[in-house]
Amino acid sequence: MNGTATATAKPPFGYLAEFESVRAVYKAAEKVRDAGFKHWDVHSPFPIHGMDEAMGLGRSVLSWLVFFGGATGALTAFILQGFTQIALYPTIVQGKPANLNTIPAFFPVIFELTILFSAFTVLFGIMGLNQLPRLNHPLFSSKNFCRFSDDGFFIVIEGRDSKFSKEKTKAFLEEIGAKEVELVEDDA
Amino acid sequence: MSAHKSVKDLPEDGEKFDIKKVSKLLGMLFSVGILTTIACAVIFLNQEWRATMAYSWLFAFIFFFTLALGGLFWTLLHNATNSGWGVAVRRLMENLGLMLPWLFVFALPFVVIPDVRGALWEWMGERREMISEAEDYAASHLETETAEWEEKVREARARFSEVRSGIESGMAKATPGEKAFLQEKLDAETAAFDALKSEDAAPTVESIKAHHMKESNVLLYNKGGFLNMGFWFFRFIAYFVILTLLIRFLRGLSVRQDADGDEKRTMLARRMSCGFLPLFAVVTTFAVIDWLMCLDYTWFSTMWGVYLFAGSALSSMAVLVLVLTYLRNLGYLRDVVTEEHYHIMGKLMHAFVIFWAYISFSQYFLIWYANITEETRFFLMRNTGHWNTVSILLVVCHFFIPFLALLQKRVKTTPRLLCAVSLWMIAMHIIDMYWIVIPERGPSLGAGVVVPGAIFFDVLAFTAVGALLAYIFLRSLGKDSLYPCRDPRLEESINLMN
Repeated sequence: MNGTATATAKPPFGYLAEFESVRAVYKAAEKVRDAGFKHWDVHSPFPIHGMDEAMGLGRSVLSWLVFFGGATGALTAFILQGFTQIALYPTIVQGKPANLNTIPAFFPVIFELTILFSAFTVLFGIMGLNQLPRLNHPLFSSKNFCRFSDDGFFIVIEGRDSKFSKEKTKAFLEEIGAKEVELVEDDA
Repeated sequence: MSAHKSVKDLPEDGEKFDIKKVSKLLGMLFSVGILTTIACAVIFLNQEWRATMAYSWLFAFIFFFTLALGGLFWTLLHNATNSGWGVAVRRLMENLGLMLPWLFVFALPFVVIPDVRGALWEWMGERREMISEAEDYAASHLETETAEWEEKVREARARFSEVRSGIESGMAKATPGEKAFLQEKLDAETAAFDALKSEDAAPTVESIKAHHMKESNVLLYNKGGFLNMGFWFFRFIAYFVILTLLIRFLRGLSVRQDADGDEKRTMLARRMSCGFLPLFAVVTTFAVIDWLMCLDYTWFSTMWGVYLFAGSALSSMAVLVLVLTYLRNLGYLRDVVTEEHYHIMGKLMHAFVIFWAYISFSQYFLIWYANITEETRFFLMRNTGHWNTVSILLVVCHFFIPFLALLQKRVKTTPRLLCAVSLWMIAMHIIDMYWIVIPERGPSLGAGVVVPGAIFFDVLAFTAVGALLAYIFLRSLGKDSLYPCRDPRLEESINLMN
């Protein structure tokens, strides 16, 4: 592969920097955050407590999505049962009234649909927010990156970030303690 | 991680609550408590008001009992699950649980004054009546019943000799097969006759009594193995002995660790708590069955114990949040407890708001749906008239409002907001307990739905128990460090991150 030719044709995906330990990657993440980068990420084999804050991540919108997803579920179940059991075709069970006083009988279904809709919103919300499913990712071309699920701690700064510069970002990553910095091409 | 705190920066012997700082409050609580207790005692002495007051006292007692029970529960759970987050607030849980032995003092009216327990638990009086009536009946009817039995035996003897001679004459010309059949028949007749004429079948005072009791009150007779005075007293004492031993044991380990920092005590507390939890569950269940479910001995619910437990764990967590905030406002625990602890306590409260709703709905739903006469009385009473308003209020305000409030992270991490929710939860728990105890009063005392003016008794009893317990609780805070200062997991707890 001709490195210079591809580099001029397409900007690189970004820099992959490897760090020694949790502590090092945590400290580095705080510095990347303070440097004002927007398109970057941390990869580690396990969740690191407090990383959200170190990366300056805000709150995800997922919780709001789930709230409205659950509320839709509750409303759906209520309307479905109310409409069929009260308005459309009242079923008299054990002489109980076919009106709103029968609402305890609706609760199990309301409960179940709330859970179902919430769970679906979580699943599809996470997939949507993470742009999944996708078949490949530029980072997979790096051999070293395989270790993110074993013992490697990585910071990736993407080329589409407005602050990205081929030389300065590399120097910056080395300065904040990266053990090894690798340029990852966007070969898609 | 950015600002890792070390236990070395904390005072070596923990922080001690200086009760002199709150001496004004303590004095006020003590005087209010003593005055209202005297007022309650005067009411108890009045024959006319005693029964009404009994319900007020039970309501006040059970509310504070569930709070203290919750304190014990969180201590047990904390130890059993080897939890790291809660070390910083564990001492407060222990302190709350330590109120259990004191509650025994407040439960004394139930043990000491027969009229009080008689007014609350009708089965006691009814059982006494049932027994004495059956005794009278047995004494006066022994002769006639014996004569009747003798007459019956005479008739049976005449019939038996007739049958026997019939069979014996038939035997003479029977085939071997028929013979065997006839012999079998003869054996059966002989056995039946022997059983009737035997001494065991003769009516005695005991047998007439049992039969009469079964006829007059079958429920109370069948439940007699559990609902009898001797066993009731035994249970009453046993509940308090067991609960006191549990909390004293865990508290003792915890305080001794403050002195020597021996981590074996943490291990022992964990191991023992796992065994204590089932014991706690049994005691809780039977205690509330005895004191609350048996307000009407004909009614039963299999969810009862866990329903009371759900409310107890929830509201005691609310109390812990309030006590914690109070202490922090006075300048204690500032370096030990952070918003992260509030966040977890808020999450636990949220979980128990849902658990309470789940349990109370399950209890209501099954009874409402099955609609079987012996199960519906409890809800029938509370779904009519003004009590229905309270029932609906509980559904909305004990579940929906706190559920939506605690969904938000901001509410759980902001001490002021979480305190507001805690106060709300405690208010709801008061209403919940009121709704359990008080509707029984009017019908039981034959005074209609609500005994007029009795709400003043309720407030008075609540103030008396509440003020004195608050006084004792605040004073007990001053005895030891406010957090386990040499717990091996303290450092983990003060650096808690959600």
